[in-house]
Amino acid sequence: METIKRQLENIVGFENVMDDRASLMAYAQDQSFVPRCMPDAVVFVQTVEQIRKIVRWAHENRMPLIPYSSGKNLHGAAVPTEGGVVINMTRMNTILCIDDENWFAVIEPGVTYQQLQAELEPRGFRIMVPFGVPPDRSVLTSYLERDVAMAAPSFESGNALVLDMEIVLPDGEIFRTGNWACGGNPGSPYGPVRMMAYRLWTAAQGTLGIVTKMAVAIDRLPPQRKVFFLPFQELATAVHAIARIQRREIGTECFLLNRFNLAALFCEGWQVPRQYPTSKVSAETFDFLRQALPPWVATICVNGLPYYPEEKIAYESEALYEVCAFLSVPVLEELPGVCSAAEIMLQEMLRPWGILKKFNYRGAVHDVTFKAPLDSVPDLIDMAYNIAQDHDYPGADIGVYMLPLERGRAVHCEIDFHSQPDNENIRERIKALWFKTSQELIKRGAYFDRPYGAWANMVYNRAATYTLKLREIKQKLDPNGIFNPGKLCF
Amino acid sequence: MEAHQKKKVVPNRLPREVFQALIDVVGAAWVSEDRAIIETYSRFSVDAAQTLRQHQKDPTMLPACVVLPGSTEEVQAIMRIANRYRVPVVPFTNGQIGFCGPTNDQPTMTVHLSRMNRVLEIDEKSMVARLEPFADYAQLQAEAMKRGLWNGGSPLATTLCKPASQTAFAGIWQTDLKYGTLSRNIVSTTVVLPTGEVLQTGSDAVAGVRPFWEYGPGPDLLSMIRGSAGSSGIITEITVKLHPWPGGIQLPEPPAGRPCIHNYHEPRFDTASPPANVKLLWVEFPDYDTQIKALQKIAQSGIGMGLNATGVYNAYYCSQTQEMTLDRVKNRFFPPYNCYIILCGFTSPKQIAYEEKVFRKIIDEVGGTFLSPSYKEEVLEALQPWNLDCIRHVTGFRMNRHFYGSSIVPGGPLKDTAYKTKEIWTRTIETYGETYITDRGGVEDTPFLYAINRGGRFWLSEADTYPDATDPEKLQKAQVMAISAVADFVSQKFVPIGMGVLVEPLTSAFPETGPNANRLMRKFRTVLDPNNIFAPGRQVYTKEEFNNLPEETFQFINFLRTKYGLHSLSREK
Ligand SMILES: Cc1cc2nc3c(=O)[nH]c(=O)nc-3n(C[C@H](O)[C@H](O)[C@H](O)COP(=O)(O)OP(=O)(O)OC[C@H]3O[C@@H](n4cnc5c(N)ncnc54)[C@H](O)[C@@H]3O)c2cc1C
Repeated sequence: METIKRQLENIVGFENVMDDRASLMAYAQDQSFVPRCMPDAVVFVQTVEQIRKIVRWAHENRMPLIPYSSGKNLHGAAVPTEGGVVINMTRMNTILCIDDENWFAVIEPGVTYQQLQAELEPRGFRIMVPFGVPPDRSVLTSYLERDVAMAAPSFESGNALVLDMEIVLPDGEIFRTGNWACGGNPGSPYGPVRMMAYRLWTAAQGTLGIVTKMAVAIDRLPPQRKVFFLPFQELATAVHAIARIQRREIGTECFLLNRFNLAALFCEGWQVPRQYPTSKVSAETFDFLRQALPPWVATICVNGLPYYPEEKIAYESEALYEVCAFLSVPVLEELPGVCSAAEIMLQEMLRPWGILKKFNYRGAVHDVTFKAPLDSVPDLIDMAYNIAQDHDYPGADIGVYMLPLERGRAVHCEIDFHSQPDNENIRERIKALWFKTSQELIKRGAYFDRPYGAWANMVYNRAATYTLKLREIKQKLDPNGIFNPGKLCF
Repeated sequence: MEAHQKKKVVPNRLPREVFQALIDVVGAAWVSEDRAIIETYSRFSVDAAQTLRQHQKDPTMLPACVVLPGSTEEVQAIMRIANRYRVPVVPFTNGQIGFCGPTNDQPTMTVHLSRMNRVLEIDEKSMVARLEPFADYAQLQAEAMKRGLWNGGSPLATTLCKPASQTAFAGIWQTDLKYGTLSRNIVSTTVVLPTGEVLQTGSDAVAGVRPFWEYGPGPDLLSMIRGSAGSSGIITEITVKLHPWPGGIQLPEPPAGRPCIHNYHEPRFDTASPPANVKLLWVEFPDYDTQIKALQKIAQSGIGMGLNATGVYNAYYCSQTQEMTLDRVKNRFFPPYNCYIILCGFTSPKQIAYEEKVFRKIIDEVGGTFLSPSYKEEVLEALQPWNLDCIRHVTGFRMNRHFYGSSIVPGGPLKDTAYKTKEIWTRTIETYGETYITDRGGVEDTPFLYAINRGGRFWLSEADTYPDATDPEKLQKAQVMAISAVADFVSQKFVPIGMGVLVEPLTSAFPETGPNANRLMRKFRTVLDPNNIFAPGRQVYTKEEFNNLPEETFQFINFLRTKYGLHSLSREK
């Protein structure tokens, strides 16, 4: 171990290598059910050159390397399953460029959502943010791991937000995707090599290379926005209405929350935690809201465009009222029982982390996150509630978030189970529920496209050739298997 | 002296057991060694690589046989045979591109997919359509539009194109501003790999999951297939995205009705109005700078379904005869700097009214003039083919009337792309001279410019050559012009071919790309095609193929590289 440490120190300097137990503990586990595992060392890097040197060194020494950008994946992606060296890139947090003429930003791995949004907003721009990401989550890894932005109902502005990437391959060589491949300006995910070649490195949990820079699309801040709430008693009715609304291409953001999640979001007694898991905090407002709010509420945000924003909002709102009148769904501009609900939601469109207050309920949240065709969702959610009941988990304690994708082609779903991190017994029970729910959902056609932790086996066991080819590609790129071993099907 | 001696012209043949094995798979009716049949099934509409000439001069370069499979299983069986006997394979659909052709000095098998031509399923709820590889854009659109849906566009290569083969190659549409290119509209593919294995990409890579989401589980393997020019496997099924379509079930007919063979050249048959809820507006600009400024503003205003500037293409697509084309080019009939926007009322008809208002405001701010009944009515009239072409393209092959010999399709942010294309294409024409007058498209007028993304960050442009197809010197010059322009772009760190397709010899000739994208692609090639049976040199040369390049090719590459300040390449150790 001493030699390892010394070799790493030679690359990054004495003060940037840690191997004391206390420091390593922070990297051994996150709040997920992925088993704890200690790394051998943690190195803080600041340049791409340092990363390349470490990668070459690890390649030669067959040392596992775990890329770490903000450690806020919360699904165990950066837990060092086979030990090794954690490459901590939190200090590579420079926004290298904000191109307001061509509408993209170039970021390093350590740049967080909060940081980037704060830089962009005064310039009249925004980054598209996924609902419920921690504010200090790395934008680069969040995009890399295919977190879906809240604007994803809109085909044009909420998807395909990664433009170009710079990757350090497992042999230490650099490869740039998209427009960057010719060495000049970024700005396109196609470029001269292969259309959207970067997608090979997505949802890879750092197993195929370390992405050191990314060009991401940014969008103009809408000059005006308007939020509407549609309350529903039944999930099936909500899904039907959302499908109709999406077909008319109404609104940019559109998502559905159940009353648990909505109550958590609006709960004034709770704060967005800094760490996950966090400590349990009881709040009366939460209990009150959970009683008072409708079982399901769809939030729709209509965005104005730079020219005549009010006219755009007017015709879209009119269409929304028309569809809802036809379906006999009330359209609300405020939520009864919640103070300034519309105002809060408007803020959420740029900084959607209010929902993380839900961690206050028990301390830890274990989500079952999947995608499915929109029409299949009511049955899948129903099944999850039934499984919870079988496990004596109260239905009222389940959180649900749903985001229609690309005008209703699909839906991104998160079903939350709450557990107490300090109570092993409860944790084990929730783990069993989480596992069973995931397993049954997969059997019923729910799609786990980012197979974290225990999902990996469930998914790859059902995708024989895909798995085989992934392994062969991994073998070609990373013959010594140094990048984040033990993840996915590797 | 020896080089000039006539070769004995005997087409290659496959070993008899291979031929018999193919018959056993598809039946005798669907495999042929007959030269006339082979030529029919391996013929390019754009023969940029002069394959037909090579075939004529040296029939050993013709494919040895053509096989027409009827199912994924048959394609699998064929690939296994090819693997066992190490027979090179070329997948072939329409043959609308001239790279990666069925030309090879070893006995090669063309797998022609024309029997697999069905739209298998339209899932209205998930808004996806599942197709066989020979189902074309026209079929797809007709089926989808019946259900109030559509696929989002069609290429200038016309609706005869197939989404499957376009996935392997390109997929630029007139409506990319809203929908991106085809590559953003693929949900899943079923691909028979050179090994005979079937790789499923997309959500249905996982057993029991419907095709509705484009990413495979974890790292996305569609990235191996898209833009691979058929070198990663044969797509035997593709599921594409559908989008809401408010334009009605049928596309409008021209008021004059349908032409017959005697009068189809008359312009009156090209004058259909746009579909319901779709509107086109045409604008002329005084100069290139104003045009670019306007395009940037429009792309960033959030309006429109499509936004393009059309240079010499207007003179091709909107002219019913080549004489008209030439006349219009010479007389600068169409505005040299222009753009057209496609508006569509998805949410309500008020959307069109709103977007038109915004568009008019921008044009007013920037300084453009609308073509209208009171300004250049005859030009607006002549542009009417675009009314339907922007949705379901049919006139593309008019640019083949003379010959569409080579092209560059640079990509990137608008200003980078637009100005570099103009600069480099002008230099290319000045250096080599044109092969035909329409090569000058992009020099004194705008190159074709396609908005690929809202926000204006990503555009493609295009400049082409149109050599006389019967003149070998001109054909060669067309190739030299394109490759020379590529070298010029690469040396300046700009993207010469921005649509995500890398073909040889460019992949190996310009290892600056990536850098060393060629080496990375080689690694993928060995995974997907371990026995190297996809006809050699398709997307990336193996080391051996690179080292075996003829000396004159090598010298030519190095000549260009040196000319543009790039270091010379050597054969690999
Ligand atoms: C006049 C003209 C205009 C054009 N305009 C456009 C345009 O606007 N936008 C655009 O994107 N392109 C355009 N193109 C190029 C266009 O991409 C191609 O013409 C088209 O994609 C080729 O389709 P094809 O069916 O003819 O394929 P082919 O030429 O048969 O094949 C194309 C490539 O894919 C491989 N292939 C074929 N079938 C399969 C399969 N099933 N699985 C795997 N690989 C396969 C082939 O081996 C070959 O390498 C244009 C071409 C012409 C001639």
